[in-house]
Amino acid sequence: MAREQRIEVTVNGRRYEKTVPVRLSLADFIRDHLDLTGTHLGCEHGVCGACTVMLDGRTARSCLTLAVQADGAEIVTIEGLRSEDGKRHIVQDAFFENFALQCGYCTPGMLMTTIELLQDTPNPSEAEIREALSGNLCRCSGYQAIIKAVQVAAEKMQK
Amino acid sequence: MSDTRFVNQRAVGTSVLPDEAIPLVEGDGRFLNDIKLAGMYHVAFLRSQHAHARILSIDTSKAKTLSGVIKVVTGKDILGKVEPFRSMPNRFSGGESVQHWLAVEKVRFCGEAICAVVAEDRATAEDAVELIEVEYDPLPAVTDPREGEKDDAPRVHDTVTNNYLIKREYQRGEPAKAFADAHLVIKRQFRIHRKQALCLEGRGVVAAWREGSFPLTLWISHQLPYVVRHYIALHLGLAENDVRIIAPHTGGGFGQKASIYPEEFLCAHLALTLRRPVKWVEDRFENMVASTHARDQYIEVEVAFDKDGRILALGSDIWVDVGAYSTYLWSAGMEPLQTGGLMPGPYKVPAMRYRTRGVATNKTPVGPYRAVGRPSASASLELVLDEAARKLSIDPAELRMRNLIPMEAMPYRNANNLVHDNVNYVPCLKLASAKAGYEKLRAEQKELLSQGKMRGIGISCFAELTGLGTTTAVGPGTLLQPGRDAVTLRLETTGVLTIAAALPSQGQRIMTAMRQVACDELGIKLEDITSMSNDTSMAPYGFGTFASRTAVFGSGAVIQAAKELRRRILALGAFLLEVPVEQLTIANSEIQTLDRSKSLSLRAMAERSFFTAKGIPDELNKGFEVTSFYDPKHGSFAGGAHIVAVDIDTDTGQVSITRYIAAEDIGTIINPAVVEGQIIGGIAQGVGEALMEELIYDEEGQPRTVTLADYLIPSAIDIPNVELHHASTPSHALGGFKGCGEGSIIGAVGAIACAVVDAMSRRGGDLHEFPATPERVLRGLGVVT
Repeated sequence: MAREQRIEVTVNGRRYEKTVPVRLSLADFIRDHLDLTGTHLGCEHGVCGACTVMLDGRTARSCLTLAVQADGAEIVTIEGLRSEDGKRHIVQDAFFENFALQCGYCTPGMLMTTIELLQDTPNPSEAEIREALSGNLCRCSGYQAIIKAVQVAAEKMQK
Repeated sequence: MSDTRFVNQRAVGTSVLPDEAIPLVEGDGRFLNDIKLAGMYHVAFLRSQHAHARILSIDTSKAKTLSGVIKVVTGKDILGKVEPFRSMPNRFSGGESVQHWLAVEKVRFCGEAICAVVAEDRATAEDAVELIEVEYDPLPAVTDPREGEKDDAPRVHDTVTNNYLIKREYQRGEPAKAFADAHLVIKRQFRIHRKQALCLEGRGVVAAWREGSFPLTLWISHQLPYVVRHYIALHLGLAENDVRIIAPHTGGGFGQKASIYPEEFLCAHLALTLRRPVKWVEDRFENMVASTHARDQYIEVEVAFDKDGRILALGSDIWVDVGAYSTYLWSAGMEPLQTGGLMPGPYKVPAMRYRTRGVATNKTPVGPYRAVGRPSASASLELVLDEAARKLSIDPAELRMRNLIPMEAMPYRNANNLVHDNVNYVPCLKLASAKAGYEKLRAEQKELLSQGKMRGIGISCFAELTGLGTTTAVGPGTLLQPGRDAVTLRLETTGVLTIAAALPSQGQRIMTAMRQVACDELGIKLEDITSMSNDTSMAPYGFGTFASRTAVFGSGAVIQAAKELRRRILALGAFLLEVPVEQLTIANSEIQTLDRSKSLSLRAMAERSFFTAKGIPDELNKGFEVTSFYDPKHGSFAGGAHIVAVDIDTDTGQVSITRYIAAEDIGTIINPAVVEGQIIGGIAQGVGEALMEELIYDEEGQPRTVTLADYLIPSAIDIPNVELHHASTPSHALGGFKGCGEGSIIGAVGAIACAVVDAMSRRGGDLHEFPATPERVLRGLGVVT
């Protein structure tokens, strides 16, 4: 089997063509090869959710995805959430304004999961929010401020 | 100082949005693993697969020939070149442990580093680790402290008899007499298993040779930059000013990043010898086996009561499995000494005795973690109080009320020799009871029990000694007395204020807190104040962030430094505005006369003082940079009361929390939203500790929980909504502040443990071993054996 493979991906609207080792994870590709270090690795077993990115519009664990599996895909990372004029995404604003992050390590994954939740369920109940976020571990906050931020973001996005 | 407060709204006490969080929410945080330097090498470690073994041989020849490998280092290679970690002297030390940065001759726990591989990238380094061949001669392992202290047990260290790294006996008052005369004596056993801080980001280091003007620069994911600097210099034979330490954004600390570990120090050595930057980032497996663990206590507690349920004496026997080495800096005494010494918590204890031991085992060393010792100490006492309440037919809340130290008795010296002052233990319990609707809660419980459901209610009152000054040691028995930290305030020539301190934040928003305090003290607008807290090349001396101290020290030092800076600003302002100094104040970043008829912006003053200083008398222009050390001398007790209701699924043994009410006294609150996050975050870790988190070892000392799939921490569905209330009273520290980072985990473990046992006791069950996993609950109910 070839040790390297050529891939084409679009990340945060920019197209990249790169030759990558076939064993390279998508997370390491994004972080080490594209220098987009906003995506974090917490467990490398797909449990903690810190590495969550958007892959063709759905959330994906970039630690469990190989870079070569993303060939042809469109990826959004936390760096791609700001608008072109630099304004924060509504979900980012809601997290900031509701003190929904402490150390900030889980935040990139939390934002991605929240955005997917609000795409699918624009007006989620508290139980739905907790269920949706249950695959994203936070060790600092106790989640309460995060739940609040998601509720605030949901309200704002419906306006 | 106070006059600005009539002009400006106070910043202290408001939930100021933390600018320091903006990079984190926008994806621009710079954590350790995000640092990339030209020519940087990567390090991976070969780790022991045995809990206890003699190393017969190490063959690195295949690893060395792999393409991309730069160097392979063994313990023998660095012997004599660097100073290993000898256990910190402790008054209660049993014997000395020596920890080599890479194992020499013997390995003493699974995960101990044996070899380091330096390669061009991490994947290659890890490939090379696989090629190293080690021949072991396995030795019998010590895996339980009560077995390990026996005379015929194997020794973890030849020099440590009975494997005692720590041993202390303490007595005050006349406990024997109190037990003999008591109306009621309750004895209970309490066992809590091993857990760990589980920072979402592991440890890590980038060590660079001659980066800028320093021979050695270390970016390190750590809570104590200056302490690292001192010990790096000591162990590598450098001068402190050869070394710069920077703590970048740090993904959780909780005490785990307050100790000194071999891996980071070895990387510093490698950078110096290779004259190249090297990076090591801990992966999750390494974090599970090579970063400090916590808790792991056996506690036997007995309490003597009079007929009204008042505590007459407290006695305890404690065994802590402290792992293979005395954790560097803090010693092995953290859990053993604090569990024994701090057990009285907020309750009046006239007499006490304890015997505590820290027993070396062939497991990962135990180090500091949020609220060291106290969650177990508190939970074991709270469970006894509940049992006494049942025996004496006194309501558990009432029994606690009778034993709490009331404000009118303060200052109150308890039997553990600690003085309680200015702390609202009684109001906290009253507030929590009122907000919980305690009587209604009990009535609901009765109703549910009659329907065959299992509802339990638990109450826990706790005390947490915070902001410790030089008179009270953080690490009992050690030489370390971290009680002095400095802050530098510098008015820049654009009139903005910079606050510099070595008090890194792992999410506690220390910089925001210091900005709020400075805003009030100096009348400078918040947006004109920036703060940096993580770099020894820019900040004055400080011990760093741990032990619920940072807001107390940082804010106190800001208040002190601001006093002098304010004096200098007003003196020059008076000269430039040609008005008497008494008529001046500072507000909205301007020097103003009290009648506001004249004003001068700080920017204009600062520019003038530096760029066009001609004509200004020297004594009025001494510079606008002030450094002040703050030592609060004593600590301040914070406290609180938590009330929890749980339901137990009678089929599965699953515990779920249905109500959680907390009332806390954490002194003057700087930023309410930040404080709320600290307290609720602590409760969440307490939920994990009481119900879920357990590091499991088998009888041979093999760890069975090495990924996040094996070790469960609470997710969003495991944590209840916390109803948080405040019953604050100011401390004696400057600003009236108390620490609040740790306390809530104490209340959480105690209250949840009591709630679970309360529910189980209604079915004739009991529980002595935690976390209260479904299996243990079912066993405790006699449903399974």
